[in-house]
Amino acid sequence: MLQDIIGSKTELFADGVQTVLRGHENRNRNVTILKGNLVNNSRSEGRGISARVNRNGVFGFASIAEYSPEAAEKVIKAATENAMFLSKHSSRSIALPASVCSGSVALNRDIVDVTQKEIIELCRTFDAYVEKNCPELTSRVVSYAEDSQDRVIYSSDAACGHLVTPRAYVYIQMTAESKEGTPVEMFKALGGFGSFYDHFSDPEKYYPEIDELYKWVMDKREGIYPDAGEKTVVLSGMMGGMLAHEAVGHTVEADLVRGGSVAGPCLNKRVASELVNLVDFAHSYNGGLAPLPVYLDDEGTIAEDAVLIKDGILVGYMNDRESAAEYGMKPAGNARGWTFRDEPLIRMRNTTILPGKNTVEELIASVDDGYYLMQSGNGQADLTGEFMFGVICGYEIKNGKLGRALLDTTVSGIAFDMLKSVDMISDEVEWSSSGFCGKKQPMAVGMGGPHIRCKITIGGR
Amino acid sequence: MSNIRNTGDTFDALIKNSEVKKYTYTLSESQKQELNLEDGDFKLMRTVFDNYGSIKVFENDKMGSVGGNDISEEGLKKLIEDSLSAARSATEDPCHDIAPDQGKDVFVQGVQEPDIDRFIERVQEFLKILEKDYPKIKIAGGAAVIDRWNWFSRNSNGTEFEGIGGQYHFSLEFSAGEGDKNSGADFLGFSMKDLDTPIIEMADVKRRLKAVCDRIYPETIDSKFTGTVVLIPDCASQFLYMLAGNYISGGRIIEGTSLWLDKVGEKVVDEKLSVTLDPFDERIVNGERGTQDGFRSETVKVIDKGVLKTHWLDLYAANKTGRPVVKNTGGDMVVDPGDKTLDEIISTIDKGIIMGGFSGGEPGVNGDFSGVAKNSFLIENGKIKCALSETMVNGNLAEMFNNIRAISKEQICDGGSVLPYIAVDGIVISGK
Repeated sequence: MLQDIIGSKTELFADGVQTVLRGHENRNRNVTILKGNLVNNSRSEGRGISARVNRNGVFGFASIAEYSPEAAEKVIKAATENAMFLSKHSSRSIALPASVCSGSVALNRDIVDVTQKEIIELCRTFDAYVEKNCPELTSRVVSYAEDSQDRVIYSSDAACGHLVTPRAYVYIQMTAESKEGTPVEMFKALGGFGSFYDHFSDPEKYYPEIDELYKWVMDKREGIYPDAGEKTVVLSGMMGGMLAHEAVGHTVEADLVRGGSVAGPCLNKRVASELVNLVDFAHSYNGGLAPLPVYLDDEGTIAEDAVLIKDGILVGYMNDRESAAEYGMKPAGNARGWTFRDEPLIRMRNTTILPGKNTVEELIASVDDGYYLMQSGNGQADLTGEFMFGVICGYEIKNGKLGRALLDTTVSGIAFDMLKSVDMISDEVEWSSSGFCGKKQPMAVGMGGPHIRCKITIGGR
Repeated sequence: MSNIRNTGDTFDALIKNSEVKKYTYTLSESQKQELNLEDGDFKLMRTVFDNYGSIKVFENDKMGSVGGNDISEEGLKKLIEDSLSAARSATEDPCHDIAPDQGKDVFVQGVQEPDIDRFIERVQEFLKILEKDYPKIKIAGGAAVIDRWNWFSRNSNGTEFEGIGGQYHFSLEFSAGEGDKNSGADFLGFSMKDLDTPIIEMADVKRRLKAVCDRIYPETIDSKFTGTVVLIPDCASQFLYMLAGNYISGGRIIEGTSLWLDKVGEKVVDEKLSVTLDPFDERIVNGERGTQDGFRSETVKVIDKGVLKTHWLDLYAANKTGRPVVKNTGGDMVVDPGDKTLDEIISTIDKGIIMGGFSGGEPGVNGDFSGVAKNSFLIENGKIKCALSETMVNGNLAEMFNNIRAISKEQICDGGSVLPYIAVDGIVISGK
């Protein structure tokens, strides 16, 4: 883990500007076993220092791949010069945002490293289990992916702190052949926030989940294409989470609001049914940790929950310090950069719809003719809130009971239209931090939610 | 930037004094200067001084790979120790290997002495044109980037390559709006060797700007039909890479799940389609010169007049499957042009769409895809009728490229690929 060797360099922060100095390390541990073959066995570490200077709304940023006091001096100087240089070519002149917090955030946990040998043994254990217990597969992939961020942050007029964000996942991918001889595929992520030993000291605890994945793949071999068109569906927690992230979350990031997103004209207006409450949680949920806890962002803002939709009304955006001042909101710690090379951008943390009152069984039993959509391959949305999710696991619902499995399909719609059709929400939340969000830089995010019943356009064949 | 070759010499000396006998490594130093745009003006200037070192070590048919950006002597020692440890943890697999001796070479490419002031002038000139001629355009983000790099690689078979290069890159995320109405976002980006051409004249910038302005008031289709889809070059690239990933990638061939497993030498798609990976095409900026396996990069014909010429296998996949290795990592795609203009192609279409982007799930291994047609327009009776929203497309990758109606004469170059417009028949298009 990083040692704090840059704090003394805050004396170089210039007057009349806002400066943030960040020491930052990313580590990756990867192993992939494809059908029994070790095809990836790698580890990497990247560390460095960055500085960002805000001079009346014109920003200078500089980073260097070196972690030392001398490097801190260099980036502070270069970032300051960049802000000065750009001021000559930019007409921006925006008052510096007021300070909203100060103090120091304590180190939240440690990062415990693991050897490649242990990772390979773990993957071999899972691979052997799959090979033995999933005999109908035509191919299988077991991948271990661990990444961590370790950040030391000093700011001129906000908070400072030292925070780590490790996560460790094993991905199991299974491929089988349908009765027509065409391949069908599905995957599952196992693990979560934390290090190898937090999750994988006892691999056997995941065997039921692997068995469940195998059942889904076997069901999918006999799968059907859904009827295309607008249908009543039950979205699982992870599908609902993808919706909350892609279709709504991005449109309420203040930089995209400024860029013309559909959320701009909708502030304080109804955008969803009154059952819908949407929150971007900072680090804690319901007395425990959120899947990807963020305590302090890369502008030195101490993280708080950001309430986005309350009882169906759009009430807030996710902000950095500058946009919060522009929109008259309080920054909640959403400005994050992925590596030392990256300037902070407005990013989500743990975005979810809050749970309702019904059970999952009640949601499914309430549908006469529709679909239960369980797992998403990926998803995208744009500024208009038009979204698309790939669906790789789902079942038809007939007369309140699950029927045949679905082949790969896609659902789409306009986020705020679709949210207005939500008429039942389940009483639990399932979520994960296995995903990456792409927005100039990658970023680890937490994602999930309750089951929701709504109307959505589903692709057929 | 300092001389990365000297760091390589230090690395060699350290390796000689270690237990490592078989290896390949790459060291790099780079510098990025980036001017970020927001709301029509420069907002942030970013400078990144970066370096990286990676080494792959082989011992008794076991392989380990590590990387890191500490390339000081201590950092290099750690890379050697960690890679040896990783290799010793691995299982034996003789298919992991490195290219035989490719000799020594230095590749000097692209921009060597960038002119940031001139680049700023070009961007400001473009922003003024936007303000004057495209007042509905909103800029969500964008960047003018100058990249410079120096990389150096050696392997234990004797190969020694060095690359010295640079480029200008411009990207823009934009939409068009009027009142509360917005077109939805579009994105363009391209690399340049010089600044001789105004940004507005690059690639298909003018057409993309006009298209986004024409999409502020889209309509929806209330029916489902099977029709023609004209893929704009960016979208054609997206589908061709999905095609490659599904049918000819190393993973699929090793798994044995590719439907084109035994189709090399056979016609697999329409004969109008020819796809080449050509890092030496003069329109490509900084084409690949050395592959990740350590081969000299070569021009590779992947599909020639509809016939599959090769799978897309790196050295490991080639050794694993007993098939030929492809000496190209997979970029620099060039698709041969057709014999009709885009307008002529549109005039032949009874019913279909022009698709500016595809937002869909990863196709299944059987090639089936389903997703939203983004930034699209309806074509009826040979004419563009209106912009579309909430429009889905469904099809199969292999089938769609077997049903090519026409390929345009026009090719669009973004510095990393050269692609025409491709019109395909038989796609299911549906509205709400």
